[in-house]
Amino acid sequence: MEGLSLAVEPGEVLGFLGPNGSGKTTTIRMLAGIIAPTSGYAVVAGLRPDQQPERLHEVIGLLTESPGFYDRLSVRRNLEYFAGFYSGLDIPAQVEKYLRLIGLWERRGDRVGTLSKGMKQRLALARSLLHEPKVLFLDEPTAGLDPEAAHEVREMIKKLSQEGRTILLCTHNLAEAELLCHRIAVIRTRLLALDSAERLRQRLFHHQVTIRLETLSSPIVAAVEKLPFVQSFSHDENQLTTELDAPERNLPELIKCVVEAGGRITEVSEKQHSLEDVYLTLVREGESIGS
Amino acid sequence: MFNNLNGILFVTLLPLLIVGQGFLYLWLAARFGQEVILTSQMGQTAIQHLVKVLPAMAALPIETQLKVLLLNQFSFFLLLIPTMIAISFATFSIVDEKLSHSLEALLATPVRTWELLLGKALSGSLPAIVITWLCSLVFLLGVVGLGWSHLIGLVVTPSWYISLFLLTPAVAVLSFMLGIIGSSRAADPKGAQNIALVVIFPVFALIGVQVTGLVWFTPLLTLALALGIGVVDIFVLRVATHLFQRESIVIRWR
Repeated sequence: MEGLSLAVEPGEVLGFLGPNGSGKTTTIRMLAGIIAPTSGYAVVAGLRPDQQPERLHEVIGLLTESPGFYDRLSVRRNLEYFAGFYSGLDIPAQVEKYLRLIGLWERRGDRVGTLSKGMKQRLALARSLLHEPKVLFLDEPTAGLDPEAAHEVREMIKKLSQEGRTILLCTHNLAEAELLCHRIAVIRTRLLALDSAERLRQRLFHHQVTIRLETLSSPIVAAVEKLPFVQSFSHDENQLTTELDAPERNLPELIKCVVEAGGRITEVSEKQHSLEDVYLTLVREGESIGS
Repeated sequence: MFNNLNGILFVTLLPLLIVGQGFLYLWLAARFGQEVILTSQMGQTAIQHLVKVLPAMAALPIETQLKVLLLNQFSFFLLLIPTMIAISFATFSIVDEKLSHSLEALLATPVRTWELLLGKALSGSLPAIVITWLCSLVFLLGVVGLGWSHLIGLVVTPSWYISLFLLTPAVAVLSFMLGIIGSSRAADPKGAQNIALVVIFPVFALIGVQVTGLVWFTPLLTLALALGIGVVDIFVLRVATHLFQRESIVIRWR
């Protein structure tokens, strides 16, 4: 990673999107104090990962790419083992609390090796929460899960976000990023863009509006062409397609112009560029639109 | 290690093999090597050392003194057991953690590297120590089996106890720590074991030093050796902590 500078507000869910090898996991590892940066520094929960990793680990939780459990130990014993590294925990109470939360209390005596992938992932999430961390790093929490298991994990992440925890989420799942994240950082060994999904769309793509009319006449076409906020314009048969600046302000003006020119509108629809369009544009063109 | 046949065979057959080999050399030396040993400068020096340490030996016939001399080499010969078993446990310990992906989750906890390594060393050395103690019992049973039970009192001496209860744990922990150093530098268990086998040679050196009569390990000297290795353990822990490269282990091992 190079030139990565960003700030995450308390209680925010920040998504990291990027192709394989873009540095998402490396960034998470640096911020979690697992590996050291070659230059620069970070402050996480008021602590420097490169200087106080042990203190940092008391207040952060990390969900790694692979769950990483001791398959021959039971579900409960695995959690108790990891909980033992944190000071001041009521281990039995916390283990029970989170096993019940993730729905694995009934399986507490079973060996972890007998659990499905989805169960292990939920168990890994529980492990990262045992010590009530303020900051969570989640590396591909729903990777390889079936839709139901992935949905359960996403619901848990939503709930954690609502509790006010700060979450950094690495994911390849664009829909998941859009659903869960307040802002999204698109990276490819460097930061390409950082903003909410909606603002990224607005900054990369103009707002496209299609107006369907009973009949499209040349006065209507002429009137629309003259509008200063119309970036591009095409028409066929009885349909106008325009790209607008500041649609929340200019769309009413566009409609008013069409009606005043004699158009009888049957339908107005807006085309929403997907986060995938944003992501692919940024990654392919390597365009940096600032953060 | 205890969950596959190879591991179980290793921790049961290897110690028995070492003990068995030791008895074989013992028997061969006592049966066929008496003349060579007793007439050599080395053998005579060693017996002189032994008589100084165990004055009761002076009244015994020379052939019996030879048997006691040979039996007393065993306490150091047994050190091969904790050395080899601890190394194997160590190499599989770190490599297994990496392959099961549990190491990264562990490194994200507040545990310090030296705490992690010391905890592994103490728990990983324990099987090696217990197996050595069991083998020492097998050895004593073997002595009885050879019809030499009247000599046990001259073998199970203060040096014997110090070797068993202080020196063996210190050597086991040292071997484990060197195995960890090997594991954190090598990419797989075999590579790690190759690096860690370097500890075997000093153990052979210890055996050789006593067998040749160059040094006779009195109780005080054995205690000093045990404490010295304990100090080395602390130093090696610091080295292992420094060499435990989290980046390499987490990122480059695939």
